[in-house]
Amino acid sequence: MKILIPLKQVPDSTVRVKVAPDGTSVVTEGITWSISPYDEYAIEMALERKDADPSTVVAVVTVGPERSRDALRQALAMGCDEASLVRAEGAAPLAVARALAKVVAEAKPDLVLCGKQASDDDQGFVGPALAELLGWPHVATITKVVPAEGAVELWREVEGGHEVWKAPLPALATVHKSEKEPRYPSLPGIMKAKKKDIPERPLDALGVDVAAPTWTVVSMEPPPARGGGKILRDGDAKQIAERLATALRDEAKVL
Amino acid sequence: MNPFIGETERDLASAVAEWSGTLIPRIPAAEKEGTLPRDVIAELGRLGVLGMTIPEADGGLGASAVAFALVLEELSAAWPSLAVGVAVNSGIVAGSVVRNGSAEQRRRWLPKLMDGNGLGAFALTEPTSGSDAASLRTTARVTEGGWRIDGSKQFITNARYAPFAIVLARVGELDPERTSAGITAFVVPLDTPGVSIGRPERKLGLRASDTSALVLEDARVAHDAVLGEVGKGFAIAMSGLDGGRIGIAAQSVGIARRSLELARAYAKERRQFGRPIADFEGLRFSIAKAESDLAAARLLALRAAWLRDRGRPFTREAAMAKLFASEMAQRATHAAVQIFGGNGYMRDYAVERYARDGRATTIYEGTSEIQRIVIARSLLAA
Repeated sequence: MKILIPLKQVPDSTVRVKVAPDGTSVVTEGITWSISPYDEYAIEMALERKDADPSTVVAVVTVGPERSRDALRQALAMGCDEASLVRAEGAAPLAVARALAKVVAEAKPDLVLCGKQASDDDQGFVGPALAELLGWPHVATITKVVPAEGAVELWREVEGGHEVWKAPLPALATVHKSEKEPRYPSLPGIMKAKKKDIPERPLDALGVDVAAPTWTVVSMEPPPARGGGKILRDGDAKQIAERLATALRDEAKVL
Repeated sequence: MNPFIGETERDLASAVAEWSGTLIPRIPAAEKEGTLPRDVIAELGRLGVLGMTIPEADGGLGASAVAFALVLEELSAAWPSLAVGVAVNSGIVAGSVVRNGSAEQRRRWLPKLMDGNGLGAFALTEPTSGSDAASLRTTARVTEGGWRIDGSKQFITNARYAPFAIVLARVGELDPERTSAGITAFVVPLDTPGVSIGRPERKLGLRASDTSALVLEDARVAHDAVLGEVGKGFAIAMSGLDGGRIGIAAQSVGIARRSLELARAYAKERRQFGRPIADFEGLRFSIAKAESDLAAARLLALRAAWLRDRGRPFTREAAMAKLFASEMAQRATHAAVQIFGGNGYMRDYAVERYARDGRATTIYEGTSEIQRIVIARSLLAA
């Protein structure tokens, strides 16, 4: 089975996000970039299939700027077999989905696993849009994939239990979580990944329509600074408890 | 930027740094219990850390001494007890087998040092021979099927986790004029009848690292258990220690670095007299001095590793790095505890543990005094 994972490079979850002076973007200078966490789960899920069946081929692709090569390299170090880059700056989500549809048509995977959303803009758009463009079955927010004769069983967590869906191949699923935490790259994996070629082409070369409706950011603001705490001092325990209960109800409105 | 570090070496070290950071919540319990969790050793195997010094032809990664020093620095920054286990397994033990083992010995023993099922041990020290290692009393005698080994070894790192130990024993009588003569290195599986492991030592620091005695009573090993040549074991031990000293220098750097990182963060946060204590000059000077010494120690350690990678002599440089870095770590951890004040004396803060763990670095793999002897001997040779 061949599994393709379109991934996105996003600011690392440890980055302290700062709004840029233009008020409509965040400062990206000097920050650490990583594979979006849900995409990492998708990679782990695919690599678990590969652990179970070594004939599985796991490929990753990204539509993004030159720096996203590092994310592809990281995926190779984790154990993915192939990686390719479609170079684009700020492509609209629909253009990304169209580019990926082209990549999927060439690579002919049996299964496409997308993170359920990217952790930077949280749109959750590309996965379902890609399935729609391909005309493939789409199952959202899965937690497990089990191969079944010419098809896959896709597990989803639902309130109080789980559902098992079955989709004929080829199919696309978006991943909520893998069974295990994403693996750390091994040192031999890092060395191997360094030697692998990551083919690259510009978005224009794919001949897809890049015009797409998109949104415009009007303004970005950090959350308001938190006010100082309040210390209740005077009175005995009972009086303080009463004032605390009143404050929680009337001021904090949490009771 | 650092002239001794290549891009690959930096990438390997940062991968290990990222992984070892996830261990931090588990450290207090493991230190209290006095064991390295088996799954952590297994993961070190899966990650290829245990085999990183072993050549590719033998199934390892064949990474440079610089890369290994950086990895030990990162492991030590996270968890010194774990780093010691790896330093012994992948530095001294693996290095001794790689440099001195026959093709058959390498094929047989090296996989056991990288599969994550255990950590190898190196048994040189005895109750009556520490710095004077050549005076060891363990004996090996030829028997019908091979060798019979008898003796007591002390302070053996990884003894309880080891699939085998390299045991240094004397073949023939002790010659008081040439004490190192006759010393031979043997590969001894620890499930050999007659081999027993003593109770774990209770140490000031490095409590999750195993340090135990090893007793050999009529322990029988085959002829092919001899590593290198009969009578050449002391040279094997000494060359193992040369490399090991780079490892301890790197470990000292890791311990000092993390202690000072913690101290800096605390100094900026902790307020006294209405301002962060980082504003006070006494403390600022302490940090400035400690960080400068740390940078120097790191360069010394990497220089020794870099020379080794180029096949150049590095005995003196390794001894200098070990001497300076381990002494530096004492001052750095002392300064860190001081900056934390009362909190630094409490077990709830990691600097307390780093101060205890770091204390061993001026002692094992040759005390500071022995390093001075090694350095002076090389400088003042006739």
